[in-house]
Amino acid sequence: MVARTVRVSVELFGTARLACGRRLVEVELPVNSSGAMLTVALANACPQLVGVALREDLGGLLESYTLNLNGVEFVGSGEMVLDDGDLLLLFSSQAGG
Amino acid sequence: MLYGYNGRALVVNLTRRTSRWQKLDDDVLRRFIGGTGLGAYLLYEHCPPGVEPLSPDNPLIFVTSPLVGSRLTTSSKFAVLTKSPLTGFIGDSLSSSFMATELKKAGCDALIITGRSERPCLLSIDDGEVEFLDGSALMGLSTSETERAVKQRLGHRRRVACIGPAGENLVRFASITNDGGRQAARTGPGAVMGSKNLKAIAVKGTQSVPVYDNDALNEMGTDLTRRSLGPATEKYRTLGTMANVSVFNSLGTLPTRNFQQSTFDGADGVSAERFHETNFVKNAHCANCTIGCEKILVTSDNGKKSKGRMEYESAFALGPLVGVADGNAVIRASTLCDELGMDTISVGATIAWAMECFERGMLTLEDTGGIDLRFGSGEELVECIRLIAAREGVGDLLAEGSLRASWIVGQGSEDWAMQVKGLEMPGYEPRSLKTMALGLAVSTRGACHNRSSAYEADFSARVNRLEVDEERGRITAEGEDFSAVLDSLIWCKFLRKAFDDLYGESAEIYRRITGWDMTASELRLAGERINNLKKAFNVREGWAREHDTLPQRVFDETLPTGVVAGVGLSREDLDMMVDGYYRARGWSEDGTIPDGKMWALGLVDVVQSEKIDFMPVLGD
Repeated sequence: MVARTVRVSVELFGTARLACGRRLVEVELPVNSSGAMLTVALANACPQLVGVALREDLGGLLESYTLNLNGVEFVGSGEMVLDDGDLLLLFSSQAGG
Repeated sequence: MLYGYNGRALVVNLTRRTSRWQKLDDDVLRRFIGGTGLGAYLLYEHCPPGVEPLSPDNPLIFVTSPLVGSRLTTSSKFAVLTKSPLTGFIGDSLSSSFMATELKKAGCDALIITGRSERPCLLSIDDGEVEFLDGSALMGLSTSETERAVKQRLGHRRRVACIGPAGENLVRFASITNDGGRQAARTGPGAVMGSKNLKAIAVKGTQSVPVYDNDALNEMGTDLTRRSLGPATEKYRTLGTMANVSVFNSLGTLPTRNFQQSTFDGADGVSAERFHETNFVKNAHCANCTIGCEKILVTSDNGKKSKGRMEYESAFALGPLVGVADGNAVIRASTLCDELGMDTISVGATIAWAMECFERGMLTLEDTGGIDLRFGSGEELVECIRLIAAREGVGDLLAEGSLRASWIVGQGSEDWAMQVKGLEMPGYEPRSLKTMALGLAVSTRGACHNRSSAYEADFSARVNRLEVDEERGRITAEGEDFSAVLDSLIWCKFLRKAFDDLYGESAEIYRRITGWDMTASELRLAGERINNLKKAFNVREGWAREHDTLPQRVFDETLPTGVVAGVGLSREDLDMMVDGYYRARGWSEDGTIPDGKMWALGLVDVVQSEKIDFMPVLGD
């Protein structure tokens, strides 16, 4: 049985945006996705993110980055339940300043 | 033999033109560490109860720390404490770089300045030798001009802390500037310096403070430097704190047009990403810092060239908060604030209040001297900043800060004076950051983001930032104690994530510097002690529970835009969190500190007995 997939957008901030040269990246992911799955999809769509926001082994985000779903929920590297059209925000985990 | 400290404070009286040394007991240094902790101790001792902040008797206190001189990364910092002319409560600000190391090399753990000079004064401290020089020729100069003039007169090895025209004119949010534009700005210490007729302090020192175990310290220092260059500081090393602008905008936490919205349609124009592409010149570092968070920007349009540092708080306060989307105007406004010597947050928030008054018809063109003070005009913003520093025209009203200005204008404008205890709010929207809402409400120095860092929980999966619960009290109290330790040792906040265990690692470093026993739990207790002492100072100066609140707008209006549209905060919800905070602190329901708590924290010898009955309550 093939897992249902959804298309989601990832908005890049800070050095991730500068490295990638664009603001939005669209990726296709299973409805139930992990941080590692997202990492692989992002690395395929924008290889420049590896080492900037994504771990070299594509096992997840670098600890200096975090993810937020639709501007509301902070999601760790665990499983996310995604819908078509969701927006993931990828930005620095260093809050404040 | 004493390691890591000089063991003394230099006490200068500008009225009598005298100076003396005050011994600092080992026990005091261990319990209050340095920085804001030792500063709070000295302020409590030297500030007469009920003193008028701009009177000669209010002390202005510069404090170094045991880390200063160690060459550990980010360790060159100092604190400035005084009774704030903006809040009437404790005022504590931090600044960085060579002034910290120079003060310590001059023999001081702290410099305590009281009195008022008859004539404008340039205070010279040369290895602890004090001279009261005529500062008349410096009056009216900007901060960079003052520093240059002092170095020209006394030599380039001097380190200079000074005020600009705003401090001279007693603008209540005036800053003290040192080492090429670094600012001790929040709560207005520059106004206190101005009230003393003290234009500048020039320090030179040649003494070194010995370290107990230098080899072991160097080993730890090397490891810490390595970590300071890793992922824990990535944001600060690359785009700097300005990176917050676009993120906060997407999260609906970017205060806009005087907190009427929390998203800004012009955010791209003042974002770090845009500044990096069009205005970035170079990174800059404080002394002994490997992070280099400072971003030097230059204007890129055809207007008058302006170059200076830019931080998130300046970009927010002089951009979205006043509706300005022109990055060049924000650079001009921020650089001008630094040159005139003013806190950019209070400047932006006070002007934002005035803009709203103008748009509501409560301030007219006649009141503003013809300035069309609507949201969004960069030119009018810059002109307004000049007027504030000079206390000319409408600037004289705004130089009082948003709360006092709202009392003068009346007509309900206090409801949108976005301040707590008189200190203007930083760039964190409390309605969409509920833990931060509590942190802002209860902070001893007023609306402050740095003394609790409560936003950290909101920007994580740890809590739901849009909802409230009693747990936020414990989170906020723990954040305050953590910050008090950072600010007393003093570490730069941007290094905090480089520690696996701040208390444990810092205790070990403290032991290696001073040779004194110190454990992680003692250090944690010191953080709690320092926050309680700050609170005790405020209670002595008239604090009451009603001061631990937020501006009326926060309770009356829900957020209208972005992913947080419809989100608000009720007074009842804030009160519930404040109750939880008092419980977490072990305080009474009215927010005062029970005698038993004072006893347990070892504060009975600090807080004067006539103010509080110290009989300990067993089991309390």
